Formats: sequence, C-alpha cells, structure tokens
Amino acid sequence: METYQIYSLTSAVLFVIGIGGVFMARHFIKKIIATIIMGGGVFLSLVSFAARDALAFADPVPHALVITGIVVAVASAAFALALARRIYQLTGEESFTIDK
Amino acid sequence: MSVLIDIILAILAIYLALQSLLAPRLSQSVFLFFAFGLALALAWIRLGAVDVAITEAAIAAGFLGALFLDALRDFSVSDTEKQENTKADQSLVSAKNTNSPWLPRLALGLGLGLFLLISLEAVWEIPSGGGLTELAEAMLPASGVEHPVTAVLLNYRAYDTWLEIGVILMGLLAIFAVGGRELYRKPVMAVQDPLLRQVILFFTPVLFLFGAFLLYVGKTGPGGAFQAAVLWGAIGILLHLGGWPVFAVIPRWLRQLLLTAGLGFFLLLGFLFIAGGNALFEYPPAYAGFLILIVETLAAISIAAALTAIFANLNQMKETPNETETTT
Repeated sequence: METYQIYSLTSAVLFVIGIGGVFMARHFIKKIIATIIMGGGVFLSLVSFAARDALAFADPVPHALVITGIVVAVASAAFALALARRIYQLTGEESFTIDK
Repeated sequence: MSVLIDIILAILAIYLALQSLLAPRLSQSVFLFFAFGLALALAWIRLGAVDVAITEAAIAAGFLGALFLDALRDFSVSDTEKQENTKADQSLVSAKNTNSPWLPRLALGLGLGLFLLISLEAVWEIPSGGGLTELAEAMLPASGVEHPVTAVLLNYRAYDTWLEIGVILMGLLAIFAVGGRELYRKPVMAVQDPLLRQVILFFTPVLFLFGAFLLYVGKTGPGGAFQAAVLWGAIGILLHLGGWPVFAVIPRWLRQLLLTAGLGFFLLLGFLFIAGGNALFEYPPAYAGFLILIVETLAAISIAAALTAIFANLNQMKETPNETETTT
C-alpha cells in the first residue's frame, strides 16, 4: 500500500464524518467545525493525488489550490462564526430550533 | 515501517475528527479541533506538502482555533446554559434511546454509509494520469522563483491568488456588516497581568522577523505570502489582546490602505501588463522575481491586517449587547 492511498482513503472518511456532523450536530460551532472537517477531507484528497503524480517534486498545482482553499475556508468560517455569535446575541439561541 | 506511521496518523486524524464532533462539551470540541488541525498538518508533511502544512497549522488550526476559543467566551456564559448544552449534546450522542424520530436517523445513517462506500471507491479508482508536474517543472526557469508552489501561486495562477486576497477582504466586510463597524472604535480593556504584556512585547519583533524570513524564503523553498501573513497577523492579535489595539489607533486612511494594498497593487500590476501588451498577470521573465517579491510583501501585509481586523472585530462583539442591556 502506497502512502498516498492511505491518505486518499482517509480523506473520504473525513469528508463523510464532516457531512454527518453538518446534519447531526446541533450547536452552531460544531456545525462550523464539521464544515471545516469536510474541507479538510477534500484538501487531503487533492494533496494525496499530488503526491501520486510526483516526479522531481510533488505536483505543485494541487498544493497551491489547497493553500488558496484553506484561506478561503477560514475566511468563510470566520464569517459563519460572526453570524452565529450575532444570532446568539439577538435571540439567545445556540442552535437552529424548529420545534418552537 | 513508514506505512505504519501513515496508518497511525490517518487513524489519529479520523479519531480526532469524530471526537471533536461527538465531545459532550463545547470547549472539548474546540480543543480536539485544534489537535485535528495539527494532525492534518503532520499528514501533509508526510505527503511532501510542507507549504500546505505550514498554512494549515498557522491558519486553520491557529487562527481559526483562536476565533473559536474567543467565541466560547460568548456561548457558554452561565453554568445553567452550559448544562443545557451538555444535555442537548449528550442526547445527540445517545439519540437512539430517546424518543426522537428514528426514520430520518436511519435514512441519514444509511445514506452516509452508502456515501462513504462511494467516495472510498471514487478515491481508490481515480484514473492515474499525468497531473501538471512536468509542465510546472518545464516553466520554472521563466517564473522568476525557484520553488514550484510559489511559482504556481504567484505566477501561473496569480489570478486565483489575487481573487483569494479579495475573498479575505470580502469576509472582513461581511463581518463588519454583521457586527457593526463602530464596534471597532471601542477602547479595549488593558490586560492587568504585567508579565503577559512583557511577553507579548518580547514576541512582537521575533514574530515579525520570522514572518519576514518565511516571506523571503518562499522564493526558494516552502514558505511565502500566506504563511508570513499569518505570523504578522498573530502580532496584531497578540497586541490587541495585550491591550494595544494598534489597528484602531492608526488613522482611518492608513487602515484602509493597509487592507487594500495587496489587492490594489496586484490589480494595478495586471493592468500595467495588459497595457504593455501581455496578458493579465503575465510577468516579463526578466523582472518576475522582483515583482513577485513586492506583490507577496504587499499581499502579506494586507492579509495580516485583514486577519487582525477580523479577530479584533469578533473579539469585541460580546461587549456591545451587555452595555445595551445595562442601559435599557
């Protein structure tokens, strides 16, 4: 088993954990963490394919895409966090409640 | 032997991801998320992506972790709320034996299992074909830098990087829109601990120097604008937490200039290239190295300023409603 294969399988598992978390977690912060874990899975698959296509060095294009992606994911997570805190301040809710 | 390390690391990452979603308390979640980010960073080093590892450890684990920790202050205000929280999360963990509807959960579980199988199959069966390594290697002498990832980020795909700086700026503007921009003008309460203030003052030049080193070394090895930007942003965040809101005391025009310098200079350069008969962001090979260094420096300053502003703004979100509560 090659190194990249281990990590590409891991990436699939992480993505599914993230999706499950987005559906199952109640608290806003846990939902945001779940989306970041989903993103981590996607990035891990990209980088593992980059390691597979390595010649003298690993394929730099997925690396650059992932660096860009991490920063964009963090910016969107920060915005989501701002929204969550604002919702909490205005309503006192810590999760999406439908049964009220 | 090395395969064993990879397997342990993979299991660790999966375990930490699961635990950070299942942990009963929010603070546990956040700290497990920190650890997950660092485990992922190790995985990237194993895959030979050192640039990605630095970015992950600095931004995704460090900066985002700091934001989450700061948000914890907001959410678990009182003990009763915390207990409610714990109860709600525990009922989530052991949802099977409560009276929650079982059909949606079963459907979700089956769907997730099926999806896991499909995605495992997809990553296993992905056709092996080339990639762009050869092309990137062939064009490296004309790119002005020696490190392939920096070449992709700032030369081949400079358009993506330019837009990314824009995305961070948009994120900041959106946070301003959510929280209210005048929050930023409030004076920050100074930290009482003199030791902490001295330590922060001591680390400021060290972090600045380390950031500048990462920025410059990006030309030949792992490092570059984003990694440097996070370290410089960390200076701003530490100073803010220590009671020196550097970003609030400088004049407004300077703040706006710092925030937009990276985006603006990048765009100006692109237009100059078009005026000179080249494509957008097509550097003339003779000056490419020099221009890339300038672009990287300004981009790092802008991103650092934006990260500091994002943190400071989120950090001050808590204080306003308390005041309105006491006045009304």
